[in-house]
Amino acid sequence: MMKLRNLSYEKKKGLYGYGFIALWFIGALMFFIVPLFQSFYYSFHVVTPETGYLDIKPLIERVDGVEKTNIFLNYKNAFMTDPNYRQYLVEVLGDMALNLPVIVIFSLFVAIIINQKFRGRTFARAVFFLPVIIATGPVYAIITGDLDTGGNSEAAQFSTMFEADMVDQLLEFIGIYGFGTKFTELLTTLTSDILNLVWKCGIQILIFLSALQGIPASAKEAAAIEGATSWEFFWKITLPYISPMILVNIVYTVVDAFTDPTNQVMERLLSVQSEWKYGYSAAMAWSYFGIILVALGIIFAIMNRLVWYDD
Amino acid sequence: MASTMANKGFSPFKKKEKDPTLSEVKLTRREKRERFKKRLECLTPEEQKYLKRKQFTDAVWPVFRALIVFGLCFIILYPLIFMVSTALRTRADMNDPTIMWIPKHITFSNITDVVKAINFWDILGNTLVLNIGCSVIQVLTCAITGYGFARYEFKGKKILFFVVIMMILVPPQIILIPQYMFFRYFNPLGIWKLITGSTISLIDTPLTMYLPALTANGLRAGLFIFLFRQSFKGLPKELEDAAALDGCTPLETFVKVMIPNAGSTFLTVFLFSIVWYWNDYYVSTSFFVNNKTIALELKNLDTNLKVLLFGDANAQVNVRELIVWMESACLISILPILVLYVCLQKHFTEGIARSGLTGM
Repeated sequence: MMKLRNLSYEKKKGLYGYGFIALWFIGALMFFIVPLFQSFYYSFHVVTPETGYLDIKPLIERVDGVEKTNIFLNYKNAFMTDPNYRQYLVEVLGDMALNLPVIVIFSLFVAIIINQKFRGRTFARAVFFLPVIIATGPVYAIITGDLDTGGNSEAAQFSTMFEADMVDQLLEFIGIYGFGTKFTELLTTLTSDILNLVWKCGIQILIFLSALQGIPASAKEAAAIEGATSWEFFWKITLPYISPMILVNIVYTVVDAFTDPTNQVMERLLSVQSEWKYGYSAAMAWSYFGIILVALGIIFAIMNRLVWYDD
Repeated sequence: MASTMANKGFSPFKKKEKDPTLSEVKLTRREKRERFKKRLECLTPEEQKYLKRKQFTDAVWPVFRALIVFGLCFIILYPLIFMVSTALRTRADMNDPTIMWIPKHITFSNITDVVKAINFWDILGNTLVLNIGCSVIQVLTCAITGYGFARYEFKGKKILFFVVIMMILVPPQIILIPQYMFFRYFNPLGIWKLITGSTISLIDTPLTMYLPALTANGLRAGLFIFLFRQSFKGLPKELEDAAALDGCTPLETFVKVMIPNAGSTFLTVFLFSIVWYWNDYYVSTSFFVNNKTIALELKNLDTNLKVLLFGDANAQVNVRELIVWMESACLISILPILVLYVCLQKHFTEGIARSGLTGM
């Protein structure tokens, strides 16, 4: 006790800091850090569950009849031998690249609208955040599945067919062939997917809305006095102020899409896990995570130059 | 000071009282237009142009905005309207092409069927206890951790905070199997085996959910710690200095001064936590076999319904007809959380500005 009293104020504060995070640290050690290293270790081995323990063996590759240990065999198999893994990876990444800008721009647009004052704003906000509550759960899968098979699906089919044909016809008329199918695919995913889009944007809208409310009133006043149009106001005031939040939203969207248990890579991972190939699934998960990190790193490097900080 | 700030965080929006002097003078449209013209005359052409443009956009934009908001609200509510409409109709109504939204035969039998089939009340009770228990514990522990990261300087803080960021980024699928092994052969730090001589399996017990929550490592705990850190960082330091001068220990300061001031963050995080625990089926499928939660039941609803209603998992039931039960199950399963949301949404949607999401 005497010793504690003799410590300087700063050092005492530091000790209290450890006290506050101690509980979390113990938990993180048990539930996060150790499992993380364990799964990393698994990814270089053959791991099969036996009663009472996990059987961990080194990876042995047979090349020209000679057996050799190759610790990277799981990774090699995932990328070279697995029939679907690479294809799924490309598809998930492609979806991401397509959806990311749409989600961010759309949620910014909605956030700006519901930040304005109008009658029924409280109701509109309540409705826009509703997806936050439902969209992460299994209910959403059932809803979208049922909408496809239930409602008036024939009518929906008719309208998309019609739309696709018209765009194709138009492009062929102008003299572009073959381009049509890809373009219409893109167009129809954007338009017919609006349900998915709106339902995915809840949290992003929330983050943008709080960022918009953080724009100081003095900036708004100054812009109004200088006679800025709302267009100029958006580019010169709103965008710089919320640019850190755009970065946050991009990171959130990427992480959310990558860790979504319903995406194809995750489903493949789960099916491998259910075949008891733990080492192989760990290798898949880690290479997938590595790709996420690289993607995030690239986004960060690009965005960090564009982000403007207030002070 | 502390209590007034807490009140501010929770106060519902007050309507601004109208200035009586302004409302008394009512101008007709023509008078207004004339005044506007007079004002325009004494301005430069540039200023005139700006004002006219502003007048135009002020008139047109609300119409567009109303259209957009209405359209998007419709898109969001569409599945819910569909859900209510289908849940309340008979099986035969699904094949009647004349029925779009309003069923001819309104019935609650689908709902009662589902309630019986999945043993709804028991599962609801189970889920509620697990859910609220975990959320309350997790919010408290995350707040404590977030406060430690926000206010104290200590060695290794940067590395430890990096671990928090990693908790947000690492997909739970990576660490699931080691976690499963941890719970299956529960033996923390070798102590348990030392005392009892053998390991114990915690699989299928609620402890698999409570233990991580208790140590601020539950579902999306990284994000919550992050949010709390941001929100505590936003509070003025003078609050704690004043409390310290008055003789509060750091823990007392935290409980008596910081918690009341971060009320809206607590509410937001609590709501998020409830929602994520409610919707989670990924983690719970791995740890629960017989311990049923609502999300788990919903995940396997398709086969479960066939078994329970028709006595055979491979029963040939038209998908379009099965929908009435599926949607009924969805309806009753989201109803509790929907009610919670409607009750708390005002604090939720109006209070986010102070929730610490800003300034990340």
